[in-house]
Amino acid sequence: MSQYVLQIIANGLLSGVVYILMALGFTLIFGIMRIVNFAHGELYMVGASLVLVLYAHNGINYFLAVALAAVITAGLGALIERFLFRPFVKTELNGMIMSLGISIALQAGALIILGPAWQAMPRPVSGALDFGGLVIPYDRLFVGLLALAIITLFHLYLKHNRTGLAMQAIAQDAETASLMGVRVGSVSALAFGIAAGLAAVAGGLMAPIYSVAPYMGELPMLKAFVVVVLGGLGSIPGAVIGGLVIGLVESGFATVMNSTAALIASFTLVVMVVLVRPRGLFGKAV
Amino acid sequence: MRQTATLLVLAVVSAVPILVGDRYLAHIAVMVCLMGIMALSMNLMLKVGQLSLAQVVFMATGAYGSALMSMEWGLPPVVTIAVAGIASGLLAIVLGPFLLRIRGVYFVLLTFALAQVVNLILQDWVSLTGGNSGLFNIPRLELFGIRMARPETLYPVALSLFALAFAVTFILDRTRGGWAMYSIEENEDLSRALGVDVTAWRVWTFGLSGLMAGMAGGLYAHLIGFLSPDAFTFHAISVSILVINVVGGVRSPLGPVVGALLLVPLPEVLRDAHQYQLLVYGLLLIVFIAFFRSGITGFLFDSSHVPATRLSRLRQLMRIK
Repeated sequence: MSQYVLQIIANGLLSGVVYILMALGFTLIFGIMRIVNFAHGELYMVGASLVLVLYAHNGINYFLAVALAAVITAGLGALIERFLFRPFVKTELNGMIMSLGISIALQAGALIILGPAWQAMPRPVSGALDFGGLVIPYDRLFVGLLALAIITLFHLYLKHNRTGLAMQAIAQDAETASLMGVRVGSVSALAFGIAAGLAAVAGGLMAPIYSVAPYMGELPMLKAFVVVVLGGLGSIPGAVIGGLVIGLVESGFATVMNSTAALIASFTLVVMVVLVRPRGLFGKAV
Repeated sequence: MRQTATLLVLAVVSAVPILVGDRYLAHIAVMVCLMGIMALSMNLMLKVGQLSLAQVVFMATGAYGSALMSMEWGLPPVVTIAVAGIASGLLAIVLGPFLLRIRGVYFVLLTFALAQVVNLILQDWVSLTGGNSGLFNIPRLELFGIRMARPETLYPVALSLFALAFAVTFILDRTRGGWAMYSIEENEDLSRALGVDVTAWRVWTFGLSGLMAGMAGGLYAHLIGFLSPDAFTFHAISVSILVINVVGGVRSPLGPVVGALLLVPLPEVLRDAHQYQLLVYGLLLIVFIAFFRSGITGFLFDSSHVPATRLSRLRQLMRIK
């Protein structure tokens, strides 16, 4: 029995860190620009597709491919921010509609370029760790540890780097930040780029495990959405705690019942949270 | 003037499928009507300042409710569509006071999550809904002794419902009620202070929009004869009716009508190229929200786009229609 519970916890934590990777960018974008980015899942998909093309089709080293995918997607994100989202800063509804348009356009682009089929790629890491009955595939473990490292780096960046601090300042009060000499525009573009890069890394890391297809971003986007609403829109600690909670809750439901039941549970949780406490666990007052 | 002209053109266009009598054309025309009703139901909510992604929930309630009542209890579809539509409206009125307290972006997230829950339940509650394989052999609509298995015969019914939904929205737009709605959208606190019962207006509007969506769903169930959760997803319904509203324009009740007429036939035209349809939807959303925020009807009707005479300038300043 305890074995069973341990397995649930291990699975939950391993998917939780990937949710956090997605949710951090999602919540960063909301915090700084007040935009709910429905295209976030498509940035994950773009990252995974780039890894497919670079690593599986062109034989570039997997780790290099993930890094390249992150950089390219980050550039794409910064461009999207500059030209498509900048006019909508603080007009939440129109920004959200814009993000939907971008999401659909990116999906369509991927469909046209890659086709609708799921495409597999060779796994760079294989085998599983058997820890007295507790089974953890090495690739999941690797993804989990790498994600953890990136989350730590991201945290240090926000806390100790001047630009990271500027991002937090904008999230608190953009006008005051701008008066203090923060260049709101370029910092926003950079933040969006980082958020896009994080999503692309998540996509690139999961690509060998789940394969690649144009619609692959929808589910991770839903998960990030659940995590961020639970933790509080715009809150970084909220995204981390929320990601772990959702990972664990889902892992439990998926083991005891099925994955649809797990999704129903997490969305019901979202409905409840928004109804009772819209700012989530750690968000600012609405 | 331009509105009257647009209405006349629409009336002529709506007669075309009847005159031509082509089955395929009639099918597209019925879908224009159904999606048009859905778009109007979203438009009503936008008029009270809330973007609701839950209209698909009421459509699904209407569709599954009507289909199940006619299959399980053998009731005629005419009755079940009406009952399921009214039930959907009531559901909206019951949920309204809870959901509509939440504003702005949080309301969008709330209704988005709710729609996800409902769709997942449709997938998971296999004994009731048939799960992902869906419900088959749903009885066809029968009216005045005519069995409406074909879109040609169903089209007049769908068109009448669409016209009715439009008329209701149009009348609301032109009467004190409409002004109350706009005032809620523009300045909630002020309209509260002026004595508008904001909450009641929101809840009743939600109820009306739920009724419309429920009826559209019921009609859809008996038109297609087959229901599955695929037809009630975020992308299939919510995104489409949002694109219709944005492209058509949200201010005028003609907006969703024009939008539906232009956009719903698109998937049929690009039948073998789903990806290009998606691309067109995405690009339209981006271009319209960036450059033509008032949509086609806004561009057509809004006096600020025509050379301003002194009188129209004055009207604009005084905000007189």
